[in-house]
Amino acid sequence: MNTYFINRPNLDRLAKSLSKTYRVYIPVKSEDKISYRRVRDEGFEDVVVGEIRAVQTIKSFYFPARTKVSDYFSEATPEKKSRPIAIIGAKSCDLASLKIMDYVYMQDPLKDPLYVSRREEGLIISSDCTLYGGSCFCVALGIMPYPSEDFDINLSEVASGYVIEVGSEKGEKIIKEYFKLFQSANLYTEKKAENRKKLKESLLEHVKESKIPKKDSIQEGFKKKFDSRLWEETIKTCVECGACNMICPACHCFILKDQDVGKGFERLRLWDSCLLLSFARVAGGANPRKLLAERLRNRFDKKFNFFPDVIGKFGCTGCGRCTEACPGKIDIREVLSKL
Amino acid sequence: MIDNPYAPVKTEVLGICEESSTIKTVTLKPETPLSFKAGQFMEMTVPGLGEAPFTPSSSPHEKQKLEISIMKAGQITGKIHDLKKGDTVGLRGPYGNEYPLSDYEGKDVLLVGGGVGLAPLRSLFLALVHDVKKYKSITFCCGSRTPSDIIYKESVLDKWQKIDKKVNFRITVDKKDKDWKGKEGLVTTTLDNLKIDLKNSVAVVCGPPIMMKFSTFKLIEIGYKEEQIYLSMEKNMSCGFGKCGHCRLGNFYVCKDGPVFRYDKISNIHEIWD
Repeated sequence: MNTYFINRPNLDRLAKSLSKTYRVYIPVKSEDKISYRRVRDEGFEDVVVGEIRAVQTIKSFYFPARTKVSDYFSEATPEKKSRPIAIIGAKSCDLASLKIMDYVYMQDPLKDPLYVSRREEGLIISSDCTLYGGSCFCVALGIMPYPSEDFDINLSEVASGYVIEVGSEKGEKIIKEYFKLFQSANLYTEKKAENRKKLKESLLEHVKESKIPKKDSIQEGFKKKFDSRLWEETIKTCVECGACNMICPACHCFILKDQDVGKGFERLRLWDSCLLLSFARVAGGANPRKLLAERLRNRFDKKFNFFPDVIGKFGCTGCGRCTEACPGKIDIREVLSKL
Repeated sequence: MIDNPYAPVKTEVLGICEESSTIKTVTLKPETPLSFKAGQFMEMTVPGLGEAPFTPSSSPHEKQKLEISIMKAGQITGKIHDLKKGDTVGLRGPYGNEYPLSDYEGKDVLLVGGGVGLAPLRSLFLALVHDVKKYKSITFCCGSRTPSDIIYKESVLDKWQKIDKKVNFRITVDKKDKDWKGKEGLVTTTLDNLKIDLKNSVAVVCGPPIMMKFSTFKLIEIGYKEEQIYLSMEKNMSCGFGKCGHCRLGNFYVCKDGPVFRYDKISNIHEIWD
């Protein structure tokens, strides 16, 4: 496969050009935090394609926190036709989370039509991490800090631009369409490999401190600790806010809520949290997870036992967002280290 | 099935029948017929309020309308109890699997139901009776709290008992009143001295969690194997098709892998009786 190079001004041009057909989002740094912003004509000064994952996950582009899913009693899906989504600068951990989301929302017996159309029409221009965050631990779960699949185009920062890897036909088309923006990458491919190796090694060193078990023994460790006191000890500082669920790129659960909007009724799909008492409760009052410790254990069960059994992957990508979001300072790495 | 899996089908309430002080049966006619098989469930919408999962209690052979028996337990079921003939509700479904009737052919079929758990079993019973020659016998064990809590009273106490000579009823109440001439005791007591060939039998259990638990244990005690027992599981099914995550039971989602489970497939999951 041919590799290309794009310099920073040209990436800016590409983003602006794409914004005529896509809703383009790009990571922008502000007050030390990176978050996605919509690209419009004026562009941004502090675009950060390298560094680390943004604060928000990319699931929110395909599976927004609040979506109207039905105007009943109409059979049509209520989403207004808008431009497809292009994400620039998605990181490897986020791409890994799409494996979970795609499994859930694109599998039969019934696919979710809103998710499917957003995913199928969307464009992903991912990028290598050039740093790691304090809470990052992707490599402990076998995920590298640079993408190797599931992107249309990937950008690896080198010198004053990016080495491009094309990952799909859609990506190839874009290269062809905007060929004037690209040049040959020959000079930079070695540098790219060197950067990747360096970051991977330093991240492995960083993760070592957390004493997370080897990835192949995590599921077994979870099963062994199922009936232990680990869960009760861990929830001592949990305030049941559900932040870990909301910020997780692989948490996919939702609740349906209906409302009367005067001229009719609408049904909303809202992100839900398995840490909340009502999550599994039925109307008669039965609740398989009455205790908070059971609900926290359930979260780990889903991520480190259910998904490995069902699709052979963890429902966690090691992005570390939950550790940063938790007001009770519950560190997912610390829990894993006790398995 | 329509394009939008979240959209309910507009449905007319044809009638309401009061079964007991807490249970009503609602007869519904969806604008587009929603054909189901015994054991599958539907999401019923109360417009503007929300929806809840129920297994129809009517015969799956009735295609134009269906019946759902609902116990008043929460906000939505409370509202359903206030419905009147002519009101509009919504239905989505059917979802999940059905009772595997072909596996029951040629066998002594034992139904064990308690309280509102009789609802799915009524649908199953009517499906079995529809093809009664395919089964060796049908034994229906019904448990209710008191005589006034017995639902489908006329059918259970009279009509169904005469439906076919292959059909047997064993009825009990936890606590009798002065007019009750029948048996008193928990539904598990109806499982003593069954006059059927256990080796060539299947048992189907549906009811409140505690009743399911002790009935299942009793069935094992009297000689049923785990793979001869079928349970209708109730969890918090919300979307109905394996997306929303609420009804996970071990590696299954009750909404798409159930609600009917053979006991041996789930007996090692710790959360099944809660």
